[in-house]
Amino acid sequence: MDDNGSGQLGFQNISERMLNCPSSGLNNALPEKVAGMATSSMAMFKSPHGGEPPYGSDWGPIVSMSHSENFGGSSMASYGGFANPSNPILLENRGMSNRSHLVHYPADPNRTEISPKLSVFGSGNFSQMINSFCLTGYGQTSDAIGPPNYASNKSGGIDNDSIDAAQAHGDFHISEERVVGASPNGKRKASDPSSLLDPNENAEGDSEKDLSGETSEQKEVFEKKQKIKQNSEAKQKEAKDDPKANYIHVRARRGQATNSHSLAERVRREKISERMRLLQELVPGCNKITGKAVMLDEIINYVQSLQQQVEFLSMKLATVNPELNFAIDQILSKDILQARGGGTSIVGFNSGMSSTHPYSQGFHLGGVLGVSTTTSQYHPIPQAIWDSDLQTVLHTGFDSNPTVGSSETEL
Amino acid sequence: MNPHPSSCSNGRSIRTRFARRFLRALKKIGSKGSSSRPSPRDISWRCRRVKIAADASMASAVGPRRVWSRTMLNMLRSRSHACLHASRLGNSRRPGADRHAVGKRKRLVLKRKLPNRLGLNQVNQLRRLVPGGEAMDLDILLDETAHYIKCLATQVKVMRSIVDYCSA
Repeated sequence: MDDNGSGQLGFQNISERMLNCPSSGLNNALPEKVAGMATSSMAMFKSPHGGEPPYGSDWGPIVSMSHSENFGGSSMASYGGFANPSNPILLENRGMSNRSHLVHYPADPNRTEISPKLSVFGSGNFSQMINSFCLTGYGQTSDAIGPPNYASNKSGGIDNDSIDAAQAHGDFHISEERVVGASPNGKRKASDPSSLLDPNENAEGDSEKDLSGETSEQKEVFEKKQKIKQNSEAKQKEAKDDPKANYIHVRARRGQATNSHSLAERVRREKISERMRLLQELVPGCNKITGKAVMLDEIINYVQSLQQQVEFLSMKLATVNPELNFAIDQILSKDILQARGGGTSIVGFNSGMSSTHPYSQGFHLGGVLGVSTTTSQYHPIPQAIWDSDLQTVLHTGFDSNPTVGSSETEL
Repeated sequence: MNPHPSSCSNGRSIRTRFARRFLRALKKIGSKGSSSRPSPRDISWRCRRVKIAADASMASAVGPRRVWSRTMLNMLRSRSHACLHASRLGNSRRPGADRHAVGKRKRLVLKRKLPNRLGLNQVNQLRRLVPGGEAMDLDILLDETAHYIKCLATQVKVMRSIVDYCSA
C-alpha cells in the first residue's frame, strides 16, 4: 500500500501542475504529465498482484485511446511508449479486452481510484479530471470500473467482449459520472469540453464519450460522439440522467440499475469472464473462440481428454511396471525431474532392457499407437500438447494392437 | 479469491513433487506383483492402483490449498477406508460405485435441454469433471478448473515421460 500512497500524492502533484498549464498549451504539455501519471498509476496497479505476469501491453491502447480523444490525436505518438509489453502493470487477463482490466481489482480502494483517473483522460473535460483526482474518495469503488458494455451485455459477458474488444477503451470515462456527483460544477467551463474533445474519428471509443450526465453541455458532447456506433444500445441506456449513489464497494455506472443485486451480479459476471479468458489461454487452440458456451465445451473436452490420457498412461505403466521397476526408480527420479516431459535425456539408456522384453515392448508400441487413436477419438488434441518423442514413436508406424482396446474396455 | 499460483517455478515444483511421489508409489505397486506373467485380473488391479497412485500423488503434491485437491484427497481417503471396511465385511461393492450411481442420478436430472443461453449444461458438466466442483460458485469453479488443467497436463507429461523411458 505504500506504493499506492505515494502514487496518490504523485497524482495530486501532477494534477496541480496541470491546472497551471494554460489550456492552449494543453495538447503539448499534458501528454508528458499524463504519461507520468499513467506510469505511476500503472506502478500502483502493480502492487497488489505480486506474482502475476505483466500484461502491460494492453494498457498501451487504453491510454493512447483515451488521450487521443482528448487531445486530438496529437498525444497518441507520445503514448506509443506505453504500448510496450514490459509495462509493469500486472493485470490478470492478458487476452481480455482492455476495458475489463479495471474490473476485477477486488476491494482495494486505492487501486480503484487509479482507474478513475486514467479514465478521466477519456473524457473531454480537463477540469473535471482534476476534480476527480482531488475528489475520488478513498475506500470506494472496488470493482465497478468496468465498462458499461458489460451491463449492456445481453448475451453474457464473453460474447460482447469479443465484439467490443478493441473499442471500449473510451469506457474509461465512466469514472467521470461517478465523481461528478461530488465535484463542484462551477469549475467546469463551457468551452473546455468542446475545445478538448476533438471530433476525433477514433473508432474505438468515441461513442463512449458520455461525460457526466449532470450538465447539458456534457450531454451535447456525448450526443455528438454517438455518431460512431459502438454498443449503441449501451449508450442509449446510459443516456439516462440518474446520478449514481456512491456505493462503498461497487459503483453503478451511468444508466445502470442501482440495485445492489444487479451490481453484485455485474461484478460477478466480470469475474467470470475474466476467468474464462485465463482458461482460454490454458486450453490450446482456443484463441479464436468467442462465446461462453463454445469455450466451456472446449474446456470440458480438454479436461476429459486429459483425464483419459492419465488413465491410459496409468494402464500402460501398470503393464510395464513389474519388469522395469526395481533399479530404475532412482535413476528415473533424477531424469524425469530434469526432463521437460520429453524424455530426451533418457534416450540411450534402456534399449538393452527393452530388447529383453518383447511382450511388453510390443504391448507398449501398440499402446502408444492406441494413445493416439483414443485421444483423437475423444478430442482433437492440438499438436502442441503432444511431446515430440511421442510423435517420433508414432511415425515409426506400429500396427495397432487389438489387446489395447480390449484392456481399455476392462477399465 | 485464491491468488493464482501460475508462475513457472510453481509448475516446476509441482512437477517434481508429483514425479517423486508417483515414482515411489509405482515402486510400491511394482514390488507387490510377483508373477512374471500377470493375469489380466492382475493387470486391471494394477491399473487401478496406478491410477489411484497418480491421482493421490498429484493431489498431495498440490497440497490442500486447492479445493479440487482437497476433495480428491478426501475422496481417496474415504475410498480407502471404505474399501478396508468393505473387505472386512465381505462386501465387494466399492464406494466408487455409489458415487457413480449418484452421478447418474444427477446426470438424468440435468439432461433436460434448457435453452443454453448461459452455458448451464456445460457448467454442470464441468462441475462433474472437476473434483469438488459441485459445491463451488462459478468463478471459483473456473479458477479451480484452470489449476486443475495445469496439474493434469503436468501429470500427463510426467507419466508419458516415464512410459517412454520404460519403453524406449
